[in-house]
Amino acid sequence: MEAITPDQVLDCRGLSCPMPMLKLKKALSGLQSGQVLQMMGTDPGTRNDIEKGVKKIGSELVGSKDEEGFTSYYVRKM
Amino acid sequence: MANSDNEILAVLRDGYRRVFVEEWSVTTGGILIGIMSVVSFAWARPWGVVGGLRVWGDWLFYAVGLYAERPPSAWLDTNSVITLGLLWGSFAASLLARQFAIRVPPRLELVKGLVGGTLLGIGSALAGGCNVGGFYSAISALSLSGFAMMAGLLAGAWVGLKYLYWEMEHFPSAQAETPAAGKGGLDWNPAKPWLGWALLLAGLAVNELYKARGYVVEGGVLLCGIAFGIILVRSRFCFARSFREPFMTGEAKVTQTVVLSLMISVLGFAVLKWGGLRSELSYVAPNFGLGGLVGGFIFGFGMLMTGGCGSGTAWRAAEGQVKLMVALVMFTLVNSLTKAVLGAFPAVQALVGTRVFLPDYLGYRGAVLLIFLVLVLWYLAADWNERTDRLVVEM
Repeated sequence: MEAITPDQVLDCRGLSCPMPMLKLKKALSGLQSGQVLQMMGTDPGTRNDIEKGVKKIGSELVGSKDEEGFTSYYVRKM
Repeated sequence: MANSDNEILAVLRDGYRRVFVEEWSVTTGGILIGIMSVVSFAWARPWGVVGGLRVWGDWLFYAVGLYAERPPSAWLDTNSVITLGLLWGSFAASLLARQFAIRVPPRLELVKGLVGGTLLGIGSALAGGCNVGGFYSAISALSLSGFAMMAGLLAGAWVGLKYLYWEMEHFPSAQAETPAAGKGGLDWNPAKPWLGWALLLAGLAVNELYKARGYVVEGGVLLCGIAFGIILVRSRFCFARSFREPFMTGEAKVTQTVVLSLMISVLGFAVLKWGGLRSELSYVAPNFGLGGLVGGFIFGFGMLMTGGCGSGTAWRAAEGQVKLMVALVMFTLVNSLTKAVLGAFPAVQALVGTRVFLPDYLGYRGAVLLIFLVLVLWYLAADWNERTDRLVVEM
């Protein structure tokens, strides 16, 4: 994945469903169109939740990266 | 020839990954749960979760002298065995997919686990079961109490979601205060699938042990529980989502999958009961009334705080989520205590509700048709809401 520079970082490590998606939705509401949010998460279900749910909240998943102990998801507000 | 061997290996590898590593679709999970629900009942008993937890809670309170009556054997009572199997299968499945990891949440989430688990315990005691025994298996068993709990769950989930939005406004920055999973220490990721397989083989071995001791039925119940655990983790199936998503995102998929799953289970249960193969009153609890409704509401609110229903809390705990482990312990202890209190006060118990077996009033055919009608209406309502977002609660 090419390096993406996020406009905001959201730490959801340790949080389980539904908190990561709720916090993501809230954080995205504060961004401008085109801006990218990096969300760090540890819940295994988050990947699928983001892939399926991100369009409904007017955004797109532009990349993800497995780090040590967590995954970073990069979401762009449309 | 070498190319053909490589292709066979690639097919086997892909197949293994699709079954044991990648997430199954929620529809696959729902269909398999419906089938397993019928299989479990045909073998011995309907699926349940909190009944088993209560046996363990009863044993703890008996051991410390709070209860005078000795509980049933945790190794032979089928409530206990099926729940043990669920945890066993969930743990194994999460290891196979390398998803097991101890995940420590922020302090606020741990408090929510404590409170949410307490509410799950109280709600399930009042409703005659958790989302499985009190809702899913109850409706499958053609018991009207299942719909009383369903109404309560919907209301409780709605209020629970409003609470989560309020909490995010007033406590916005609850971050993990302890290191997230996987930082430092020995990397045991490569060993996880081997441990998962060892657990599954151990499950088969224990089943053989039950059989050797003359407890064939109980051994089979363990395997049913293990199957439920595997299906739930692989498809990340959670009944809480079926009640929550229409209000949170408008998404209908999980709700509609629960409808489909229930239809399979209802048909199977009706055949088994109507055919005289299983007792008509199995899982027809005397909770149609305030017990189902209020218990469902409390349970529904608790589900949103906890982040999992009864079965969801169990499989997520087995996946290593510490918040859900805390919730599971509270769920266990509080359900046991609440049931004990209800049992000690018959006047209160009488308020909980009555036993309503739908075929007694409508015949089997009428009962199944009525249940299907209600389920189809729920399916269509979820579809309408997905298109219009009319029931979505704004943040």
